[in-house]
Formats: sequence, structure tokens, C-alpha cells
Amino acid sequence: MEDIKKAILEFAENNKKSKFYFADMEKGVRKVMPDVKAREVKKAATSLINEEKLIYYSTGSSTMYGLKGRGQTEDY
Amino acid sequence: MAFEPREEQKELKYKELRIYSDEELNNYTEEELKGFKIKHEIPVCEELEKGPWPSFVADAKREALHRRKLADDRMMIERDVVEDLLGQLEISFKEGETHWKHGGIVGVFGYGGGVIGRYSDLPDKFPSIAHFHTMRVNQPASKFYSSDYLRSICDLWEYRGSGMMNMHGSTGDIIFLGTFTEQLEPIFYELGHVLQQDLGGSGSNLRTPSCCIGRARCEWACYDTQDMCYELTHYYQDELHRPAFPYKFKFKFDGCPNCCVASIARADMSFIGTWRDKIQVDQKAVKAYTGGEIKPNAGAHAGKDWGAFDIQKEVIDLCPTRCMRMEDGRLEINDAECNRCMHCINVMPQALRPGKDTGVSILLGAKAPILEGAQMSLLTIPFMKVEPPYDNVKENVIEPVWDWWMEEGKNRERLGELIQRQGIQKLLEVLNIPPMPQMVKEPRSNPYIFWKEEDVPGGFKRSIEDYRSRHAR
Repeated sequence: MEDIKKAILEFAENNKKSKFYFADMEKGVRKVMPDVKAREVKKAATSLINEEKLIYYSTGSSTMYGLKGRGQTEDY
Repeated sequence: MAFEPREEQKELKYKELRIYSDEELNNYTEEELKGFKIKHEIPVCEELEKGPWPSFVADAKREALHRRKLADDRMMIERDVVEDLLGQLEISFKEGETHWKHGGIVGVFGYGGGVIGRYSDLPDKFPSIAHFHTMRVNQPASKFYSSDYLRSICDLWEYRGSGMMNMHGSTGDIIFLGTFTEQLEPIFYELGHVLQQDLGGSGSNLRTPSCCIGRARCEWACYDTQDMCYELTHYYQDELHRPAFPYKFKFKFDGCPNCCVASIARADMSFIGTWRDKIQVDQKAVKAYTGGEIKPNAGAHAGKDWGAFDIQKEVIDLCPTRCMRMEDGRLEINDAECNRCMHCINVMPQALRPGKDTGVSILLGAKAPILEGAQMSLLTIPFMKVEPPYDNVKENVIEPVWDWWMEEGKNRERLGELIQRQGIQKLLEVLNIPPMPQMVKEPRSNPYIFWKEEDVPGGFKRSIEDYRSRHAR
């Protein structure tokens, strides 16, 4: 779990965009850990949300993830 | 089967929960309403009040007047929120452009859905709707409420939100319309800890599952829609609140093919009650219908004289598969041909009933987009028995489909689009079920079932010489 969290944070920090889809985050983690399962990535992402390191960004119809403090993180 | 809650249930007592007194809730007269003007001029909006139908503009004005007469400390957001909403709408109608920005970081802690951020792009002109976030509240199964429950959530929303709500949104949730960011957590706390009420789904989540009235009141329900909806809502909490899907995903549960929650048109996974034996026929009651003793359609069309009931014209000739006929005064049905349109059962409910060996048909891939046309779902599993805790459905249908969609689905691609892109054959492989002839829509021009390379001896690039040695050109 800690390895996946680290890979997620690295992906989030190095990604060109400050908000990204779950599938893209999963692909980013797979580059480092090829055998990781989607559900494990989700559990790690949820843990990072609870630690307030990641944030959800929702348009209402679809949801993205982002790194807290990077890009838009406050109300408009 | 009696309802068995998965957690201890509190009885809500409105007297203990209420925020407003009766006087506060009825604080204006109809006379006052007639002379009431909101603070913005809204002639275009007011056009919507004309004509025979009820208008949200008229309702919003009532709410605006009600809020104007409440005391200052009785509302946690601005009192003129409704007036500003109408003011901005007027500008949008005139200019033909929206002034809403939607989306953002807003939410409640730990949840990736249930709150949809919305902001005005004219906050200086309409400061009371600078934030106007929507909250989705997971409706009770079949939308059964007590009036105490409704009063309690209305009080809460009046106090911490705009007081305006939708009963219900398209997915079925109760929609709270308009509040400020700082009110989200207190509302979530009150809903969860006091009213035992969860938020619904939004974003790339499992959306709030919804079901028809089912066995609570309907004799045609082929399975317990409320129980299945309740069980799957609880079992898939993580999917409801923590988004990891490519896009939205909807379950809907219809007890019979009348499809009262329109699962066939809207749900990515539709569960529609059906039977695999014969329609139950009471020949005496058939005679009573043809003899005029029982009104067809349970008297629903009795407001006009349509003449005597004609079973040939009104039932048999309208059967889509022509599987019915009258023979020696008896109604005969070739059940093998019945496609469950429900028309005959709807017309003669006392004579015909669904069969006794009941279960569900599972259909996949419907969606109802605004810009493109609707797509109906595909009958994938014609019949499956369903009993609590529905492990056969969870393990053999839902989870394999989700695993496939999460792996292969593109961002913002619905399940129906993935099925179209990769083909029904791939879906059948995922579910490990054989194809049915009915899945082949146009067998001579567009067969869905193709050869796969591994099924062809020697593969697609095999040498033709061996074949030609036995078969002259």
C-alpha cells in the first residue's frame, strides 16, 4: 500500500496537468508497479484522500483527482 | 419477507427535530403573495407563470417571500438567495447564455460524490448565489417517506440552504439546490448523524440505485426490488462514494417489464423482473372482461365511452408477437413466443398475471444523453434467479463487468459505448455466457459473432496449400 501511495504522489507531482482521471493515475502507477490491480490503486488513493494529500475534483458528471495545493484547490 | 435493516434504525420524531415553528412555516398570506415583487425585474421569467401549468417561477416567488419574512438568525445563508437566482435566470434568458460555472473541489470530507459545486459568474451582481452548490440525497427505496422525514429535511435545507429542492432528480435522488461551501459539512453531519440519511452519487461513481415500488404495493413485482436496491446500495458503498470508474454507472431495479423506473432506457445495468413459466390465466375472469363485467385497464380509461371491450381488437391484435388467440371461448397463449410486453396483463389484470417461476432479466448499456439520442439497454442475461444476498449477481455479473469497464473503458465512456466499441462478443467472454440468436440483430449483414483466430486451426495466416490439396479452386 505504501509503495502504491508513493507512486501515486510521484505521478501527481510530475503530471503536466494538475487534475487527472483515475485511469491515467492507474496507468502512471503501473509504469512503476506493472502488476498492481485497480482496486489496490483505488484503496491507496482513498487513503491519500483521507490523509488530505489528494483531492477529488468533480464536474458533477465526472470526477478527477488532484494533488492538494497544486493548481486550483480553493473555491473559484 | 420483512424488511431487515443493516444497522440500528432510529425513529425520527419531527417534534424533536424541527427547526421552525408552525408560525414561521406559514408566515405569509395569499394576499401578500399577490402583491409581492422580488428585488429584480423578471418579466421574461414571469412569462413562465402564464398558461395552465404550474411554474417553478411561482414556487420560487413563494419561497422568496417566505424567506423575506423569516427573522435574520433563522437562515444560515442569505435570505435573498432565491431572488438572486431569479435575477440571474432573467439575464440568462435574455442573453441566451448561462452564468453558472460548475465543478470544483467542493465536497464533504472523504466523499468524491454527492456534492456538485456551482458558482455564479456574476457574483458582484448576485452575491447571494456566488456559491450555489447542489447536494444529492440518496432517496429511500421506492421513495417511501413519512411526512415527519420530509418536514425534517425541508427544515434542514431551509436553515442551511436555499430552501429550494427537486423531488426528484433523474437518477432519483432528492436534490438540494443551492448552498454555500461552509454549509456542506454541517448539512452532511445533520443528514448522516441525525436523520440517518446518506448522500447520493455523482461524478464517476456508482449513482444512487433506484427501484420501482415493487412488492410493497405491486402484485406484478417478480422479485423484491426494494430489498435488492437496498442490499446493493449498502454493499457497494465504496463505489457510490469514492469514484474510480471511467464515468457514471447506474443500477435500476424494475419489478416487471412495465419498467416503472425506466431501467431499460437509463441504467447501465437494468434488472427487470420476469418469469420463465407461463402467464397465469383465469379463464372465468377473461369471460368477465369480454362480457363487460370487469372494466379493462382496471377502469383507467373509463372517463370516455370507448364502446364495449373488444378482446380481439384491444388485446390479441396488439400482441407484438401474435402469440395469443381465442379458441372456443378460451384465451390461448403460446408462451414460448411471449416477449413480456405486459400489454395483455395491463389490460386484463384480474384475468392474467405474470408466471410463478420468477427472477430477473439483466440488460446492459443504456444511457440517456442530452445531446445524442437515447440508447436502450441490451438484453444480456434473459433469466436469473435472485435471492438475498444476491451473491450470484454480484460475483457473476456486476463485478466482472466493472473489472472489464475499469480496465478497458476510456475516460468518460459509458458501459454501453464500450460494448459498442469492443463488441457484444467481448462482453459475452467477460461474463462467460454463450451468445443467443436474439443478440444477432441483422444476421446476414452485421453478425456480432465472429471467428476468433485461436478458434481457427492454424490461425488466420495458415498456409492455404494444405486446404487446396483437398479442395480444388
